[in-house]
Amino acid sequence: MSSDIEGLTDGRWLVIARKEFADTIRSKVLWILSVLFVSVFALPAALAQYFDIGQFIQSQTGQQVTTNLLAQQTSRLASALVPIIAIAVAYAAITREREKGSLKLLLSLPHTRADVVVGKVVGRSGVVAVPIAVGMLITMAVVLPTQIAFKAGGFVTFALLTMLLGVAFVGLSVGVSAATSTSRRSMVGTVGLFVYFYLFWNSFARGVGQLLKDHAGIATDTQLHVTLFLKLLNPTQAYQTLLTSALGTETYVARARMFSGLMGQIVAQQLKGSLPFYLGDGMALAILLAWLVVPVALGYVVFQAADL
Amino acid sequence: MAAIELDGVTKRFGDVTALQNVSFTVESGEVFGFLGPNGAGKSTTINILLDFVRPTAGRARIFGMDVNEHSQAIRERTGVLPEGYDVYDRLTGRKHLEFVIDSKDADDDPEEILQRVGLEGGDGDRRAGDYSKGMKQRLVLGMALVDEPDLLVLDEPSTGLDPNGARMMREVVREESERGATVFFSSHILGQVEAVCDRVGILGEGEMIAVDSVEGLRSAADLSATLDVTTAGLTDDAVDAVRSLDGVASVTANDDHLSVAVDDAGKTAVLSALENSGVEVTDFSTEEASLEDLFAAYTGDGHEPGAEVDA
Repeated sequence: MSSDIEGLTDGRWLVIARKEFADTIRSKVLWILSVLFVSVFALPAALAQYFDIGQFIQSQTGQQVTTNLLAQQTSRLASALVPIIAIAVAYAAITREREKGSLKLLLSLPHTRADVVVGKVVGRSGVVAVPIAVGMLITMAVVLPTQIAFKAGGFVTFALLTMLLGVAFVGLSVGVSAATSTSRRSMVGTVGLFVYFYLFWNSFARGVGQLLKDHAGIATDTQLHVTLFLKLLNPTQAYQTLLTSALGTETYVARARMFSGLMGQIVAQQLKGSLPFYLGDGMALAILLAWLVVPVALGYVVFQAADL
Repeated sequence: MAAIELDGVTKRFGDVTALQNVSFTVESGEVFGFLGPNGAGKSTTINILLDFVRPTAGRARIFGMDVNEHSQAIRERTGVLPEGYDVYDRLTGRKHLEFVIDSKDADDDPEEILQRVGLEGGDGDRRAGDYSKGMKQRLVLGMALVDEPDLLVLDEPSTGLDPNGARMMREVVREESERGATVFFSSHILGQVEAVCDRVGILGEGEMIAVDSVEGLRSAADLSATLDVTTAGLTDDAVDAVRSLDGVASVTANDDHLSVAVDDAGKTAVLSALENSGVEVTDFSTEEASLEDLFAAYTGDGHEPGAEVDA
């Protein structure tokens, strides 16, 4: 279609993004999410301080409690909570306007459908990212006067990666919302994907690895690499393992920890010194970014061709 | 130059044909009425003009540009009051207008527009979600007026408007037309189209039945309404008085009942004339000329338009 070429227009998507954001501020979602993220990120730090857990751990293990340790612990919860919130904020971004009819007002104006999709992604990303930033800032304020050692680099990385995870799921959700005609379908699609990532992706990765070994005769090493790469394709796992290595764990150990417990330790031994590039940190980051971009692009193609 | 051109446009949704080989032209600067009953395909036509849906066959152009290829350029110069829209509940009326002004890179004053469409006294600062249907209609008309568009597309604009609102709508259409804008105005009500349009296109079941001037429309179909009056004792003098009024096409008297074929404006004159002749009116009702009559007039089947069917 020739209007594909029309694509994005200067500033137009920004007008939509601003409207999205203004609309959401009035709905109080932003404030509710900020409170939520403050409690998720800052509360553990506050509790640790209150119960003197830092002293306890230090006396038991000789290890100083840092914000890196806090981030590592919190990231487990964040890897589930942030995607769920991003989905809730964005799954109906386009379908709701389509069902209600306000999309007709929007597209009566000189906006392209690309402007609408990008404006939605940017606007709703703000709705997810700003409360995360607020949560992080308040956490910092809570932690600074305590004995918990504040590691600025790790803390900023944690904040940025968590925002990126949220934005990736906003992209995924807006993409699905652009490609479907009702909010109900969009919800089934986005929630279904999340549940799949969370519960079934690992067995899918293991299954494919096993299948390739049994039927394509790949070597055990290759099987391990393939399985790890497939695990890494899961955005929540890419987030966690990337954060682990960014906070100072060796990259190969961080990747091996995508397997839990003893298995993780065995895998770490096998990976030591021979980590392929497609399991590196760059790839993990690229995968997170791809989850932002690819669903948006696919959703746009369907939306562009649709009769509204 | 033509503002709108449709050339053999067909649209099928699955195996339902919404439009069948529709062609017509709207000249620049004219007020074009697009008339047809609900479900005739008026909105589908407008949706094609706005590139919401794509034709199965045929071409549509606005300002000489293909509606799909140059949709954005077309919408830069077009103001739209769509059908089946909804507003952004949480944003105020003023915010809606500001959003349109930003989107069109225009410099209109929201206050001026709010006044023009009759959203006054703080209405503009209320959440649009709390507006009545009529107020929403006024707001969206206001949004369509931003940036002095060359073309106004109004899909069933009188929906939800009270008589005052409908008058405001007609005034706005007249003003915009005087400014030089082309107005494309769809409706299923004959009287509205007749009141403001230069030419009329009539759509029935997805096919263009006729395109005609409003004068042509008037002569093709008897557009007068029938006024039925029940009196407490009718006199011949009173019947003559009514018959001599302007705008009265025919009078049928039957005992105390009177059937008068009269145009819209003449109805009250009929009632006054009766009372001036000392005849007491106990009851009256009117029957508008129907679209069915009009279709029959153009397609030539059925009974003659406006003909009496009373035995």
